[in-house]
Amino acid sequence: MITSFFLRALEGRIVAMVAVLLGFAVLVPMSNLLLGPDNPLHVPTYVMSLLGKYLCYALLALALDLVWGYCGILSLGHGAFFSLGGYAMGMYLMRQIGSRGVYGDPILPDFMVFLNWKQLPWFWYGFDMFWFAALMVLVVPGLLAFVFGWFAFRSRVNGVYLSIITQAMTYALLLAFFRNDMGFGGNNGLTDYKDILGFSVQSDGTRSVLFALSAIMLALCLILASAIVRSKFGKVLLGVRDAESRVRFLGFRVENIKLFTFVVSAMMAGIAGALFVPQVGIINPGEFAPANSIEVVIWTAVGGRSTLIGPIIGAVLVNGGKTIFTGVFPEFWLFALGGLFVLVTLFLPKGIVGTVAQALAKRRAAQAAETPTHLNGKPQAAE
Amino acid sequence: MIDKTTNSLLYLNGVSVSFDGFKALNSLSFTVEPGELRAIIGPNGAGKTTMMDIITGKTRPDSGDVYFDGGKIDLTKKDEAEIAQLGIGRKFQKPTVFESHTVWDNLELALNRNRGVFATLFYRLSAEDKNRIEEILTTVRLTHRRDELAANLSHGQKQWLEIGMLLAQEPKLLLVDEPVAGMTDAETAETAILLREIAKTRSVVVVEHDMGFIRDLGVKVTCLAEGSVLAEGSIDFVSSDPKVIENYLGR
Amino acid sequence: MKMSAILLKGRRMYLRPVRILAILLGLILGFATAASSAADDPAALIKALGTANFEQAEAIIADLGKTGDTRIVPALEAFAAGDLYVRKSDSQVFIAKAAGSGFTLIDPVTGASAGEAPKSAITKIKINNSLRRAISSAQGGLTLLSPDKVVRLQAADSVLKSPSAENLELLEAALAKETDRAVKLRMEQARAVSLLSSDRPVDQKRAAIATLQSLGGRDAIGILMTAAPTLDPALKGDLDAAIKKIEGTLALWDAAQNIWYGLSLGSVLLLAAIGLSITFGVMGIINMAHGEMVMLGAYSTFVVQEIIRTKFPGAFDYSLAIALPVAFVVTGAAGLIIERGVIRFLYGRPLETLLATWGVSLVLQQLVRSIFGPTNREVGNPSWMSGSFPLGGMQVTWNRMWIVLFSLTIFLGLLLLMKRSFFGLMMRAVTQNRRMASSMGIRTPWVDAFTFALGSGIAGIAGVALSQIDNVSPNLGQSYIIDSFMVVVFGGVGNLWGTLVGALTLGVLNKFLEPWVGAVLGKILVLVLIILFIQKRPRGLFALKGRAIEA
Repeated sequence: MITSFFLRALEGRIVAMVAVLLGFAVLVPMSNLLLGPDNPLHVPTYVMSLLGKYLCYALLALALDLVWGYCGILSLGHGAFFSLGGYAMGMYLMRQIGSRGVYGDPILPDFMVFLNWKQLPWFWYGFDMFWFAALMVLVVPGLLAFVFGWFAFRSRVNGVYLSIITQAMTYALLLAFFRNDMGFGGNNGLTDYKDILGFSVQSDGTRSVLFALSAIMLALCLILASAIVRSKFGKVLLGVRDAESRVRFLGFRVENIKLFTFVVSAMMAGIAGALFVPQVGIINPGEFAPANSIEVVIWTAVGGRSTLIGPIIGAVLVNGGKTIFTGVFPEFWLFALGGLFVLVTLFLPKGIVGTVAQALAKRRAAQAAETPTHLNGKPQAAE
Repeated sequence: MIDKTTNSLLYLNGVSVSFDGFKALNSLSFTVEPGELRAIIGPNGAGKTTMMDIITGKTRPDSGDVYFDGGKIDLTKKDEAEIAQLGIGRKFQKPTVFESHTVWDNLELALNRNRGVFATLFYRLSAEDKNRIEEILTTVRLTHRRDELAANLSHGQKQWLEIGMLLAQEPKLLLVDEPVAGMTDAETAETAILLREIAKTRSVVVVEHDMGFIRDLGVKVTCLAEGSVLAEGSIDFVSSDPKVIENYLGR
Repeated sequence: MKMSAILLKGRRMYLRPVRILAILLGLILGFATAASSAADDPAALIKALGTANFEQAEAIIADLGKTGDTRIVPALEAFAAGDLYVRKSDSQVFIAKAAGSGFTLIDPVTGASAGEAPKSAITKIKINNSLRRAISSAQGGLTLLSPDKVVRLQAADSVLKSPSAENLELLEAALAKETDRAVKLRMEQARAVSLLSSDRPVDQKRAAIATLQSLGGRDAIGILMTAAPTLDPALKGDLDAAIKKIEGTLALWDAAQNIWYGLSLGSVLLLAAIGLSITFGVMGIINMAHGEMVMLGAYSTFVVQEIIRTKFPGAFDYSLAIALPVAFVVTGAAGLIIERGVIRFLYGRPLETLLATWGVSLVLQQLVRSIFGPTNREVGNPSWMSGSFPLGGMQVTWNRMWIVLFSLTIFLGLLLLMKRSFFGLMMRAVTQNRRMASSMGIRTPWVDAFTFALGSGIAGIAGVALSQIDNVSPNLGQSYIIDSFMVVVFGGVGNLWGTLVGALTLGVLNKFLEPWVGAVLGKILVLVLIILFIQKRPRGLFALKGRAIEA
């Protein structure tokens, strides 16, 4: 049953993307570790970390596509789940610093010593153990999504209202995490990590493993998402997106369907955040900013909503563009990003992948129409 | 209050509901017997759609009783999904099918199987389910279009697909809101045959404006006006009622 | 009246034996001559100051106060300022002002010039803080009789602040003559204060407590508290009751002040949200660039003020009046362009509209940043917007006051426009039934465009007002957009009254939570409450209910 569930996921585009990701997971670290810096194929560590960061963003965009593309929930608060996952990992990394911090306290992170705290707050317990932190990476975003979704979907808040309150949610968290007495490092967040599972976070080897993990995790989540979407549940999901009341009158519990998807998506976002933090070396409240969450939406839209691979492509393209742009014309980046929002919604509503798929389908249909053996040669709309 | 010994499949008694002061239903009482095909007529705003909303749990009545299955089940305490699972299917006024799914998938989703999250995640189409879908495709005359997206169907075909989905749900009671609106005459006649066929195994309530269609159905008619029952009986009896003529037909 | 008698009588309440001894000693020794001369002769008393020590001087000052002779006020002032000197040759006391190498001398009582003296010929009379207090108390007493009403009022105030039993008789004398109501009231309060530290009978003190209670405020509590330890035990109940009563009134005023702050915040929210309640509420457009319209309005104000500053500096007080139409036109035009250029292609796709307008907001922010720079720009308050006035037990700042009035005016104006004007009629027709409106000859695309322009223009006007209380920076709009949406959603979409009630409720709620949990946590709580509220009533406070409402 489980195998058939996952086997169903492996459709052409998905397989291709998984192959690409796994290829990256192997080749990029190899080139970083094995080739000398003079070799033209050598990938410097900072580039690898940058690419790793893009892959984390891609996972976040994939998570958003699952709820937005397939369930019609436009979450403007996915950055919150990402950040919570990131904070869970950051807390683990903070506790690994031990007495190597500026104040040398074996238990308390520097900012707590600075704030004159005498003991570790209860919610920091357990984060010295990796397995616990890893669990929290899933549990905390999942729980928030569950509680939020439980209320929102049960009372049938949907459409733009839902979008606005998801935005309010991440905004409230932003304000909360800025407070010093929340116990998460306030303004500065969590940073100055030393090592992860005993390996230095700065070393090329660790960086390579983190990069490979990001690519593999993204591939796994892609397969999972594809499996969900291609199951009967996925069909119900699309039904919820397109005709929610019909689904309800067919006897499905729409709120449970949405809740499940929302929680799975939030957990994926949490994983993305957890992989992001050791690679960029910091997590701070700025990640909760509503603007960040909206940016995720545009990555997804650029790549192509409801295509699963589109968001991955979109996240990498937009962020790559951002890196180049802010390096060359920092003034113009917001113009470019703003323009992208407008142009994509106006002229490319299906995104890159959706538009290409549509064009391919059209051509195939045209060819089919020329061969008289096919009677039902009506053009099929792309998914 | 309620006579628990009733044999009615559906039992509405004194149901009232108002929206911002507008009384959509005014002490409406109405019963449907098992295996009955019933037509409902009435002018716009008579409360036909609101009545369906109440039966299917979309709207809660301000007062009154709504019981299902011989008085065993209080529908006012259930939500849409529960009511659908109890065996009440509903076709909307505007055909509502899943346009981004194929005809086949539409029926597969509607099949009366476990609708839980995990059951649907790991669902595999069995031979039995396959046969059932084939059967329904034949009934609603869509076998030749089974692999097409529902979006590409004609208006009439969408209406039929929706009726097919209701059949896949295997309901005890079907509520059908204006099934022939926008249909050609030939389609309308076929729909009447289809509904009569369906009514052999279950109860059907049809809301319709098309008097010719109702005559084709040849069943008991209820005329609603201003949220309550104006007249009930055969089509000839109802259409000769002066109140009905004044309220509905005359206009 | 014999001076020693007065001294003993007046100070019995708080003079310790040592001090009494010292005064008696002073009376006997260096001060015998002055004491023997008339105690109410100001000239003699001032002369005695020249040889007195601090303790004696304090007693003399008190006596001076008793004389009721307003001529000595300059001498007291000079003493407090350290300008009172004694001439070594004859022990005469003068007010001395530095003139060239020496000093000009002025007679302390008559104010007549008394020639000059070199620095070596005179000695400054020393002063300490205790003396300064005595002086100000004596001055207070003396000026109570001044012919100038303002001076009398100030005098009463100063007695009120540093009460002493010595002033009591003087105060009563002044009270008897007083005709002005305000001054009389203040004097009565001052008398009550002084009376508490005197040896008057209990029932007079009881009345004094009542008077103080009617005075109210934290000062009154302070006075009553200081009086408490030495007060007759019989009066303790009255005192406690009075304090409790005053505290109750204070709490009421605190609440009123909080409500006012809340209303003021609410009116800011209303200003920010009211344009949105048109574009979102009436047209169903999610305009994420709404905050940037507010920002453009604020920058319009800045530009108008810059021009006025450089070209017509005299017209600065009118700058806001000029900025209002300018901002309305600028942002209205921007809105028109956005609607025609972007939004009209996206009707019926609210989520896409949200994304596209977010893009527009990014572009506008960067545009303003490129033109005006990323830092805050200075927008001035005209004179009529600055300062504050007291209202009962609270302070009301003029700029808040005007913003509350302004936002209510805008609200009412908009309400009238929607309900009474032909444009409003068309607007409502189009939003209710587009096709029907169109077939009746209404150009629906233009109604859309102008409705959106109207919403944007109102956001611009809000920007003019907000420039008076907030930093004008490219990020100005960002800080209002979420709050504005919250207000509209909370109040109920498509309902102007809902927006009003929503904004004011959220404002007051915020300000009431603030003292308990702090500003940030308060805001978080409000957000959480709204999120919960929307779950309960997904369509807001004043939602329309019925079959027609379908998502």
